[in-house]
Amino acid sequence: MPVPILKQGDVLIASIQAALTDHDLLTLRDELADRVGRLRAHGVIVDVTALDVLDSFATRTLLGIAYTARLRGAETVVVGIQPEVAFAMVQLGLSLEGVATALDLEEGLELLRARSQGGRDHAG
Amino acid sequence: MADRQVAERNLMAEMQITDANIERRKKMVGLTAADLSRISGLKEIVLAHVDESTATFFEFLAGLEEAKGLVSKRDLMERARQLKSEHLAAMVQAHYDRHYVEQRIVLGLLYSEAGLDTRAFLGACHALLKNTGMTSMKHFERSPLEGFESFMSLKKIAFFDIGVIMDVLVFERERVIRQQQEAIRELSTPVLQIRDRLLLLPIIGVIDTNRARLITESLLRAIRDNRAKMVVMDVTGVASIDSRVANHLLQTVSAARLMGALVIVTGVSSEVAQSLVALGIELTKVNTVGDLQGGVEEAERLLGYRVVQTPPAAAQSS
Repeated sequence: MPVPILKQGDVLIASIQAALTDHDLLTLRDELADRVGRLRAHGVIVDVTALDVLDSFATRTLLGIAYTARLRGAETVVVGIQPEVAFAMVQLGLSLEGVATALDLEEGLELLRARSQGGRDHAG
Repeated sequence: MADRQVAERNLMAEMQITDANIERRKKMVGLTAADLSRISGLKEIVLAHVDESTATFFEFLAGLEEAKGLVSKRDLMERARQLKSEHLAAMVQAHYDRHYVEQRIVLGLLYSEAGLDTRAFLGACHALLKNTGMTSMKHFERSPLEGFESFMSLKKIAFFDIGVIMDVLVFERERVIRQQQEAIRELSTPVLQIRDRLLLLPIIGVIDTNRARLITESLLRAIRDNRAKMVVMDVTGVASIDSRVANHLLQTVSAARLMGALVIVTGVSSEVAQSLVALGIELTKVNTVGDLQGGVEEAERLLGYRVVQTPPAAAQSS
């Protein structure tokens, strides 16, 4: 099942609706990398609220999305990781190091907005 | 009745009474095949005096203040009487398996329910054994040695039963302690909101794997429910932090981060800090601030709060 990617201002929002196969994840990665450049987006939000498990492959793909997007000039925020998922992930030693996280979509948009305002001269 | 049976099965599992454990228990009282045949030899004598022996047991208890909980309750007493005479009959069948132990657990649970004192129980057991001993010795009047030996074999199985029943009594008594520990554990991991989107997590006492799990779970839930962005975790009350505890804390911090909340750790005492350094545990990935006040101030700053002191409000009563 393909993941819909919405454009909201200069932010791309990928809202994952159901459990994804590894192939779906890779498609999502390629699609996002393509659109970030094409639509000149500055931010990417991946919403995983609907997922009740994030395994090592999914985590690695999310990291891949974040690094690719950064190279193409956009900041990535993963939003909506559920408490149970977060707990399971740290038990497995998966921490999404280097990727911004936020509670939900609203927070993620807020985070990107704050970064694009203040972050230009600091973190970039 | 069905509920009771389920309870007994569960208790057996909880107490880890398995077939292997039962064999072990037999070995511990020194039960051998020779004992079994001698016990079979006593069968008729014991069976003939079951009522009398049961009566001895409960008469002994009736004279004791400590057994009031059992003696004063009619329904419990009647069940206990019945179970006890069944017990005596089963004792001389010389077949001690899982089912046999299960029946003893039923009796133990009944005693526990009645709050029977362990010493009173032992006294009554002794009275019962004496009574049984006398009857069997009378029967073996001609060959006292054989009689004594038979009785000693029976005594082994009596000790086996006493062992099981005492275990039940102790296990049930400790159940209260276990429940209280559980309650204390849950009470001792509060997550408090001290400002909009700012949570305080004071940790006090010893952190083991179980508790770390509880702490993390309740923190993550609180982050979602309060939409928190910052968490101040205060470890002033944690006496010592070794590598395991540090690892638990790190896991909590990264789990919170996955939900978009930043954790500030405060209250690492100088002893704890030194032992962490000595152990070579790096907490460099974690934001640390000296004390709770500093941590809260830092969190407020990051959230964009500015605390301004105004002239103190006039006291309400004058």
